[in-house]
Amino acid sequence: MILDLHTHSIASDDGRAKVENYCQWIRRKELPLDGFVLTEHRQFDDASDYRSLEDRFGLLILKASEVETEYGHVLVYGVNDDLRAAFDFARIDNPLAMVLEQAKRCGAVAVPCHPGRPKVGLCAHWEIKGPVEGVHTVETLNGGSRDGENEQALEYAEKFGWKRIGGSDSHIVSHIGRFATRFEDALTNIDDLVDALRAGRFDAVRPE
Amino acid sequence: MDIEELKNEFTGHVFDKIDLKVEEESLVGYARACGETQPRYIDPEHPDFQAVPNYPTRIHGTRGLPKNFPIDMHRCFDAGKSVTVHAPIRSGDQIQGRSEIADIYEKTGRSGGMLFIVHRMNFYNQDDVHLATVDWRLVQREFD
Repeated sequence: MILDLHTHSIASDDGRAKVENYCQWIRRKELPLDGFVLTEHRQFDDASDYRSLEDRFGLLILKASEVETEYGHVLVYGVNDDLRAAFDFARIDNPLAMVLEQAKRCGAVAVPCHPGRPKVGLCAHWEIKGPVEGVHTVETLNGGSRDGENEQALEYAEKFGWKRIGGSDSHIVSHIGRFATRFEDALTNIDDLVDALRAGRFDAVRPE
Repeated sequence: MDIEELKNEFTGHVFDKIDLKVEEESLVGYARACGETQPRYIDPEHPDFQAVPNYPTRIHGTRGLPKNFPIDMHRCFDAGKSVTVHAPIRSGDQIQGRSEIADIYEKTGRSGGMLFIVHRMNFYNQDDVHLATVDWRLVQREFD
């Protein structure tokens, strides 16, 4: 099963894609995606309900978040009320160690994204501020990366034995599916995704 | 600079108003400048003649930011506008634009930290019908 684990819709301030249009694009272009995860910036989109789109297009549409820390941006899967009460998703200076710890405590999974990106990626901060306990997975294939950024992410993942996910980081419709994550299991909901991420049964891929 | 304090002090109240009459030639000229070809936007004789949806983005108030706002407008750059159309703007309408700060938030990107200010202008006609909402995002980068 292949999911794009990093997408943004118009619910994000810089997103220009409607979720329905993502679905239409995936089907029209026959992209080999079984679904995608909406990771809106600095928030969890509690209100939107995409079940009718899932049924109409035969796609799995899950919701997560992209939060900001002093070590860069972090995707959080399995957001629940406990986690939302644990820290302020809107802040840009959340401590990475706290986000990792609280995600684990609340049954979620936190994954630093685009680690090779300047300013908002893990690697540069890791070099300057030192290591942080609790990182187990990073996004090594990010569709918005410039030359060398995904390579640096992969280098770190291999060096530290981190698992790898992929996501398009799409903000416009035509970018969805540039990268994705292949899971060994069939996933049907966010709990399945969290279980699979915890178990490590996945890898980053470029959908062909 | 504390974002919550800024939001509490400056968001949610009208700080500027502007009144203007919508002229036929302004509607046609703007539509043509946008490359519009649909008769309802460029032909005043069309029974549904009206402004193109992005027409209100051309209208500015007398102030970009509220008085005493602790950021200099000239140190911000334009991060774009979004328009929500509620009802058509027609030739001859006497419209009023009311400005407020809708949101203030921070984010980080490839170039570093940024402060976003959302200047919202709501437009109403002579019957107080809500015509459009324009959200204009202004950005100040951390090194500015």
